Amino acid sequence: MRSNLLRISFILFLFAPLSWAASTQPVDTHEFKLSNGLKLIVREDHRAPTVAHMVWYRAGSMDETNGRTGVAHVLEHMMFKGTHQVKTGEFSRLVAAVGGRENAFTSRDYTAYFQQIEKSKLEDVIKLEADRMSNLDFDDAEFAKEIQVIMEERRLRTEDNPSSLLNESLMATAFMSSPYRHPVIGWMNDLVNMKAADARDWYRSWYAPNNATVVISGDVDPQQIYKLIQKYYGPAVAHELPVRKPQVEPPQKGLKQVQVKAAADNAQLSMAWKVPRLEPGKLDDPEPYALELLTAVLDGYDNARLNRVLVKQEKVVNDIGVGYDMVSRGPELFLIGATLAKGKTIDQAQASIRKALEELKQKGVLESELKRIKVRILSEQIYKRDSIFGQAMEIGTNEMAGFSWKDIDYMLEKMQSITPAQVQAVAKKYLVDEGLTIAVLDPQPRKVEVAKEGK
Amino acid sequence: MHTLQKVFATGLLSLGLIHSAHAILPIEKLDPYKGAKVYLVQTKTLPMVDIEISIDAGDRYDPSGKSGLADMTAALMSYGVRGDKGILTEAQMADEIADLGANIGISAGGERAVMRIRSLSRKDLRDRAVQLAATMLSSPLYDAKILEREKQRSITNLLEAQTKPEFTLERRFKKMVYGNNPLGDSPTVKSVGAVNVADLQQFHKTFYRGDRMIVSIVGDVSRSQAEEIVQGLLQKIPASGAAIAPLPPLPRSPVEPFSEREIQIPFDSQQAHIAMGMTAIPRNNPDFFPLLVGNYILGGGGFVSRLMSEVRENRGLAYSVFSYFAPGKDTGIFQAGLQTKNEQAAIALEVMSSTIANFIAQGPSPSELMAAKSNLVNGFPLRIDNNRKLLDNVSSIAWNELPIDTLDVWTKQVEAVTLEQVKTAFQKYLAMDRMKIVVVGAQNKVAPQ
Repeated sequence: MRSNLLRISFILFLFAPLSWAASTQPVDTHEFKLSNGLKLIVREDHRAPTVAHMVWYRAGSMDETNGRTGVAHVLEHMMFKGTHQVKTGEFSRLVAAVGGRENAFTSRDYTAYFQQIEKSKLEDVIKLEADRMSNLDFDDAEFAKEIQVIMEERRLRTEDNPSSLLNESLMATAFMSSPYRHPVIGWMNDLVNMKAADARDWYRSWYAPNNATVVISGDVDPQQIYKLIQKYYGPAVAHELPVRKPQVEPPQKGLKQVQVKAAADNAQLSMAWKVPRLEPGKLDDPEPYALELLTAVLDGYDNARLNRVLVKQEKVVNDIGVGYDMVSRGPELFLIGATLAKGKTIDQAQASIRKALEELKQKGVLESELKRIKVRILSEQIYKRDSIFGQAMEIGTNEMAGFSWKDIDYMLEKMQSITPAQVQAVAKKYLVDEGLTIAVLDPQPRKVEVAKEGK
Repeated sequence: MHTLQKVFATGLLSLGLIHSAHAILPIEKLDPYKGAKVYLVQTKTLPMVDIEISIDAGDRYDPSGKSGLADMTAALMSYGVRGDKGILTEAQMADEIADLGANIGISAGGERAVMRIRSLSRKDLRDRAVQLAATMLSSPLYDAKILEREKQRSITNLLEAQTKPEFTLERRFKKMVYGNNPLGDSPTVKSVGAVNVADLQQFHKTFYRGDRMIVSIVGDVSRSQAEEIVQGLLQKIPASGAAIAPLPPLPRSPVEPFSEREIQIPFDSQQAHIAMGMTAIPRNNPDFFPLLVGNYILGGGGFVSRLMSEVRENRGLAYSVFSYFAPGKDTGIFQAGLQTKNEQAAIALEVMSSTIANFIAQGPSPSELMAAKSNLVNGFPLRIDNNRKLLDNVSSIAWNELPIDTLDVWTKQVEAVTLEQVKTAFQKYLAMDRMKIVVVGAQNKVAPQ
């Protein structure tokens, strides 16, 4: 039973939100292209005297070949190991000296490098980043040490982490031919057998201005930035990129299941369905937006359906989450992951998830539920502008998936137009067993002195 | 560090000179309300506001045998309240917060419980978010059934965490460094199981009151709007209550033989997890800046620290290696750590120990000191370049009772640090024969059962 207060709030708040976005300043973004193919996107944000400088290469683990999984990420590490002019380790020292924060990250779709910096020091880091686009130069001894570091990273993130192991098996089971089936960090045996030459080949193949996008956000003047970028990135020479085979995943023809035994106390259940993603040039396809909204209806806030029913009412799972990202280069999964409550079985958890989905398929979603989600999306549009780095991240991930930064606002508008019937329709169409993969973590006792731990 | 000479020669460094039209936004101290101190930073560019309430109700106040009580007292505030117009269930609260486009969260840490509210600054939305938060703070329901559910979830998470090397390490390390101080206690299956509704009500009544709260506000609100927010938040909160006995001070980690300070916990993970550390300083200690600058050089400075260089860059022994001071309102700790495959745990520990020992004994080199100051001073704007970071800073100033001009003089204080000060401070607070060491995994692998 809702209180009066709550009913008033619905009237007051739910019909106002569209005016929020209009009340904010329009964002000021500029795009340039260098003659060597490098794309530059500048987002002006003058709130503070800082800048985020990012370089995105459209080369991620999905571009790797068998036996060399993990090489995109290995190269990311080696990019800090020196160029013809900058000695190993010096890149980081130079960035640190001007007060910068830096790092890099690799995904299935891309590899990106960034520095956050006070604006007067921007030229120093552009110079360094542009240098390693063309002049990387590391020796075999540095590679031999760094590959050990990367194996430690894999032990830390995956080998000793049952949730990661489960996810690795899920991806490898769900996908037969798509390179999305391989982990970004690579299989351990491929890391053991990785050679410095593999990393150098990768660099020569993919690191070129015509495969890169520079994104700069912060307190900058776009024309000045364009000149700086021309000066430092301009000399980089474009070259032909390797052919990317489509490697389209064949349609799944029925339920797949996989079990992982690993040290844990609790069983875990992952259910992942093959679903479409948003494709560049098809921004009006309602299905990906409807799937994003479905994700939020199930898991977008504390009282969303799955948390409410499975965690709070039925107490069949301890935690539950839903994942889907319509923006990506490769095939997408709609993933529900749960940790079981004590004394509950995988069958019980699965039955409860299926029941909740079935109810949604049969009865649809409420208009009020969907409005709530849309309000959150609108308010997040304002909150996200609090982070200069976050703005550059959003632009970069969209560009790498083949979209333009200009599409981002259109996507958000499109999202607002989706109806409850469209959300129900994608649930009915895609959350079916033909495209489902189920992964189960079967917990094994760890040999550990728990007894001494109590107090 | 030899390469730094080259850096200086190329003139890339311009130490300490930040020429910027952007002045640091002033922190305004408003009149206390109900005994709560109030701080405000006005930022007008985005139509949003962030509010934090720090409550002196951290888990160090957990009674013996009831570890987890402070945490549960805070967490259950989101799960049902008694408002002016009757009860709001957890579902109604969550729906309404979502409808407002707001976020309201509360959790308890070691020293303090923290509630954070993020809302659009439009008055009707903001008012309602504040009203909801106020009801959570003053009138939580503490429903017995929900407590049972959350205890069970907490226990399930705890049992899972106990199978993880990093959790096992942190819990044991905490116990070793804090000893019998309440900060050394961690929730157990038994202690969480012992918490009941009366405990929650009592803890809430004792600690959630104006004189134990600080409100920090950053965002698109005027001074008078900020006052309105505070009054709305604390309207139903009592200004004070019964006297609370002060907590025992944290005695310095004693000199002990290695065998007393070191513990190995057999664990069948692929990696050994290692922690080393001891008691250190509170945040308002005048030696904070020499230790901050020194630790940047030792193990805080990302890819360029000595620990990173010795353990990772030179030897490939670990992916992550670090050291930090965690000063609070009261004495905090120094901690260093890494993870490495079991076979090389001994050598990694040795490299980490000798690197720390050497730094305590010798201090940094002049070029290291200069590089550290250069990074901290030039990078200062990155510490305050959005509302969320400003809120973190204001809240830290308020909680740790630091001068209101802390941010204005921050870079000057970094620049003033000398080689001698770093060395003296490290020798004053740290000592290898006092360091606790915990190794989870490593040599003593348990034979297969």
